[in-house]
Amino acid sequence: MIDIDQYAYNNNFSSFHPLEKSFFALFTILITLTANSFMTSIIVIAVISLMLITAAGIPFKFYLKLLFIPLSFLIIASITAVVSFSRELNNYFFYFELGGWFFGLESKSLNTAVLLFLKSFASICCLYFLTLTTPVLEIISVLRKFKLPEIVIELMMLIYRFIFVLLDTADLIRTSQLSRLGYSSIKKSFFSIAKLISNLFIRAYYRAQGLLTALVARGYDGKIRVLERKYSFSYKNIMIIILFETFLIIISIFGGGNFV
Amino acid sequence: MKKNKIVLTTSLIFTLLLIPRTVYAMHIAEGFLPMKWAGFWTVLAVPFLIISVKKVNNILKDENPGIKMLLALAGAFIFVLSSLKLPSLTGSCSHATGIGLGAILFGPWPMVLLGTIVLIFQAILLAHGGITTLGANLFAMAVVGSFVAHFMFKLSRKVGTPVWFSVFLAASLSDFFTYITTAGQLAAAFPESSGFMAALFKFLSVFAFTQLPLAIVEGLLTVLVFNIIQEYSKNELDELSIISRRKRHELS
Repeated sequence: MIDIDQYAYNNNFSSFHPLEKSFFALFTILITLTANSFMTSIIVIAVISLMLITAAGIPFKFYLKLLFIPLSFLIIASITAVVSFSRELNNYFFYFELGGWFFGLESKSLNTAVLLFLKSFASICCLYFLTLTTPVLEIISVLRKFKLPEIVIELMMLIYRFIFVLLDTADLIRTSQLSRLGYSSIKKSFFSIAKLISNLFIRAYYRAQGLLTALVARGYDGKIRVLERKYSFSYKNIMIIILFETFLIIISIFGGGNFV
Repeated sequence: MKKNKIVLTTSLIFTLLLIPRTVYAMHIAEGFLPMKWAGFWTVLAVPFLIISVKKVNNILKDENPGIKMLLALAGAFIFVLSSLKLPSLTGSCSHATGIGLGAILFGPWPMVLLGTIVLIFQAILLAHGGITTLGANLFAMAVVGSFVAHFMFKLSRKVGTPVWFSVFLAASLSDFFTYITTAGQLAAAFPESSGFMAALFKFLSVFAFTQLPLAIVEGLLTVLVFNIIQEYSKNELDELSIISRRKRHELS
């Protein structure tokens, strides 16, 4: 139902230690953001995408579709960040006029916008690397190792489980509403979706009660204990990660990184 | 003059193409904020999260541990709510945040924790938002969004406006202030040459196209949802006041 989740369980990297993958993704994001260079960002985008498509076995088409999700925000926000406006015409290479104001881009600021875009895009690739190869439960187990409060971990596990239950319910209600022309006009869609949400709320409420009853019947004392899957570290992976990160740092230092 | 017109039309068409088909509330994408700003917003948001965890732990201790299931389902409910396609006024399909409804039903403090978890799952499962920008998004949505909704609801109930109007104000202003906060965060990170106020104006006006209709739609929808819940499930609302610490008369 959620595609990313499906691939997270079904890829060639799923047997690797989650700590290795999280460290790899986070450290690469960190280097990309601090290096602030075109070269580093492009290398990260290329390497991560290649790894995901060839080695991890994520279908190219699906990966492309994922990359489009944040694209509109990225383009709009990075252009907005560098557009300048004034009463008189500066040395803009592209501009338009609106109500006596000139809105335009200077060639220097276009540079900034592209860098901003590439940096963010590279870190999004890293985030995808983590989420496409590591199931949510493993990410939660990594969080547990960092000693997050028990209640946070437990709520995360429960919420992850319930998301699918509720999505399923919402899907069923929506299908039956659609088959009764529930979304045939704007007004009808408003009332239909309101009924869907309120029904979902009530069902979630009763589901919680039912679940509690079932748990209490099995000796629930406020804690849910689960076994975690055992993973072993692979020296080969750790070596590759260290080599790649060192390579990235060296490239960033000598390849025109600005380091902010 | 003619050339100017052509430039204007092409740029207008370009902007129209860029306006996203699917509108989510403003999640700042992964890696968009520079490190120092990402750190700044995280540091600002963490105290709220710590207090929220403490409050939730207290509720669990005072009442029964079964509230945990209810909280978890509330969190999942908000996630699913934010993934539903809403009918939209502008032709693009938009998504609610659910923070407003959540803050009214469950109270602002539990919502900070639930909102955080929902944001993490949106980043992991739906690719909206990110890890480094989690602090900023958390502050704008879970903290500002829930507290604005809570105080607006409280205030307008005190003034004596009808419940439906209070719900509308709470939900739509919660979205509205989230939008302003996010624009402020972006402007603070990228003041460029023109300064903070000019940058704020730029970001506010660019995102107004998607976020203002969204705030109104979410406000209307929350009223409809709340009315149905109120009509058919009064008892459950009463029981929820254990979590939200809301007085009974406020909700009816």
